[in-house]
Amino acid sequence: MSSTFDTVANIIAETCDIPRDQIKPESHAIDDLGIDSLDFLDIAFAIDKAFGIKLPLEEWTQEVNDGKATTEQYFVLGNLCTQIDSLVAAKAQEA
Amino acid sequence: MHLEYFQLIDQVVALDRTGRTIQVEAQVPVANTIFEGHFPGLPLMPGVLLIEAMAQSSGWLLIGLNGFTRMPFLAAVKEAKLRTFVTPGQTLMISAGLVHEGSGYAVTKAEIKVAGKAVCGAEITFRVVPFPNDAFRASMESMAQTIGFPLEAAGNG
Repeated sequence: MSSTFDTVANIIAETCDIPRDQIKPESHAIDDLGIDSLDFLDIAFAIDKAFGIKLPLEEWTQEVNDGKATTEQYFVLGNLCTQIDSLVAAKAQEA
Repeated sequence: MHLEYFQLIDQVVALDRTGRTIQVEAQVPVANTIFEGHFPGLPLMPGVLLIEAMAQSSGWLLIGLNGFTRMPFLAAVKEAKLRTFVTPGQTLMISAGLVHEGSGYAVTKAEIKVAGKAVCGAEITFRVVPFPNDAFRASMESMAQTIGFPLEAAGNG
């Protein structure tokens, strides 16, 4: 079974045509990989489907805009995967 | 269908909030300046306008599902297939269904049939955001009434 990071990295590689070996846990989706907001919608859709969750993109964006969080907290891939794992765990608890 | 006003649909036939689908009807005009150029001697409904008709239908579906609280804006069109010609005067039956509702975005699948035959389809992605202002929302409510959109079913009545 592949790790959360492997799944996310494969989604990004396929969606954005970025070589898989350039995608690392410390990569910032926007600053390092150059992913724009439209491509990120595709990535979010694929992640939502793959993990059965709903990434709270609006909430994250609001937190960043309000200065309550940094983009690194959500868009550095290692951190994004931690968020995904938390959402998956929360959903499992609800079930 | 009023091409001059980019109104590509005429009538909401059914909105199923449980099944998360919408059915819409649209009549391609018999005459329009668009057909003078597209194409001389062979008037065809432009494929991009068929895609826009599917997007508008999908948009009304999303407004129906969110209770007229947010506005979908077209963001991406995938797997668009234009299967056959659509000509002036034909009646389009447009259907759309929700594929996924994400945070701030939604994905639909839409299809157009003419006389029961599929003529085009696509997967369409929207950014879904709060209405920019009250005037914009009011204009959409006015349009909703024009096309028979069931405002009550959308929780707006």
